[in-house]
Amino acid sequence: MTHSLHRRGTRESLSNDFVVLGCPSTGVNKKGSAPKTKKFLSICYKHGPVNLGDMKTGNIYNTTMDDILSRVTDGTIVECTFDNREKIVSLLKELKEDRPGISITISGVADVVQQCMTEAGLGRIHSLEYSLGTWGKTDRLPDFEILQTVTMCGHAMIASDLVRKMVRDVKRGRRTIEECCIEMAECCSCGNYNVPRGIALFKELLPLYSLHSLY
Amino acid sequence: MKADQDKCIACKRCFPYCPMGRIQTFGRHDRIPGRVYIEIDQDACTDCGMCLRAKICPVNALFQPEEPWPREVRGVLSNPMIEFLGSQTPGRGTEEMKTNDVKGTFLPGEVGVGVELGRPGVGAYFRDVEAVAMALMKADLGYQMAAENPVTHFMSDKTTGKLREDILGEKATSAIIEGKCKLEQLPDVLKVLREVAGTLDTVFTVEVITKVPPKGEIPIVPVLEKMGVWYSINSKNNMGLGEPAYKFYDDEP
Repeated sequence: MTHSLHRRGTRESLSNDFVVLGCPSTGVNKKGSAPKTKKFLSICYKHGPVNLGDMKTGNIYNTTMDDILSRVTDGTIVECTFDNREKIVSLLKELKEDRPGISITISGVADVVQQCMTEAGLGRIHSLEYSLGTWGKTDRLPDFEILQTVTMCGHAMIASDLVRKMVRDVKRGRRTIEECCIEMAECCSCGNYNVPRGIALFKELLPLYSLHSLY
Repeated sequence: MKADQDKCIACKRCFPYCPMGRIQTFGRHDRIPGRVYIEIDQDACTDCGMCLRAKICPVNALFQPEEPWPREVRGVLSNPMIEFLGSQTPGRGTEEMKTNDVKGTFLPGEVGVGVELGRPGVGAYFRDVEAVAMALMKADLGYQMAAENPVTHFMSDKTTGKLREDILGEKATSAIIEGKCKLEQLPDVLKVLREVAGTLDTVFTVEVITKVPPKGEIPIVPVLEKMGVWYSINSKNNMGLGEPAYKFYDDEP
């Protein structure tokens, strides 16, 4: 499962985009992991995530934190999205001192994540996964500007047509950018959609399309 | 996913929510004069359930029938709310590097290589998944498929990468081939993927995993740079905070 890995964007944009994931391991620490996962979620919540969820329950835009916590069972994988490095440093400092015990990964710009770990007093990244991009019939992909938005949902549940429709809706004054981005966050049940980044990307999209070129 | 012909009013509100694009056509109701409804192309639909979860239909016409095998596989791999019980992990793949700190799935000298077909937003038929899996295995590069991965589970022959015949015509929003090889085989594995990429009518993302040594260079970086393979500035990074920690080196405490 690599759904937080293939986010596309510029360094400036991706530098404020972190997905922190807590994952118990089958055969190692999955049995009895529910309290550890709840503890991990509660710690993350204190540090101001912009989104948070569990793919089988939903995220804070389509349910409540209490509901997400109450549905955590042994083996549940939870994800919290943050929009700045200072939050990540303070989160890592707390996780270093009060380890929940489950495995924790952070998706983000590799050198920024390493800097955050160093500032938090952690050592080197333990294991790392790189995206080598998209291969094959890439002419079937949407424009890069739209790709930046839709790749925030790794399960590809934010349709490119939906982004185009929302741009049209905003241009016609039917809804605000914020309303559109919250709806996109609802589509991404895991909680990986970074709403502040989504709003910034949406503002960049608006001047690129005319009404007639849209969905 | 289907639309109930007796309820649907063809308002088209569900159209933009489909991650597979415009896969709907219109039909004329044979019993209600003047009524037009939409039909969802059942070959193109991956049963991901997004249109239903969006709660956008004003007349509740959308519904997901319980699908028999082999169509059942579409929802299993495409709907994020459904867990594939064979992997014991929510989602389309495995724990891969997320738990490497406690499990030791990827040891020094090994590289995880994942290929996710259909992503983002294009979709992939299992015949394309099979083409990539068989190309990797035919090259005889010591690529080991992850046993708990759903795609591996659907193989009739894990030594050749051959999938079950009955699912080849099925389609998923995305499907991941996961496995690992020795670091020295990585260039050849990537060459195989480059070659097979040109034969497919879909896209795939490629990801590589490595254990980061306590000191020195990240092992896969010089390999990728020598080959001129682009890799993203953002990565997924295991913090090494899981317990109990897997012992990777003899001199570890």
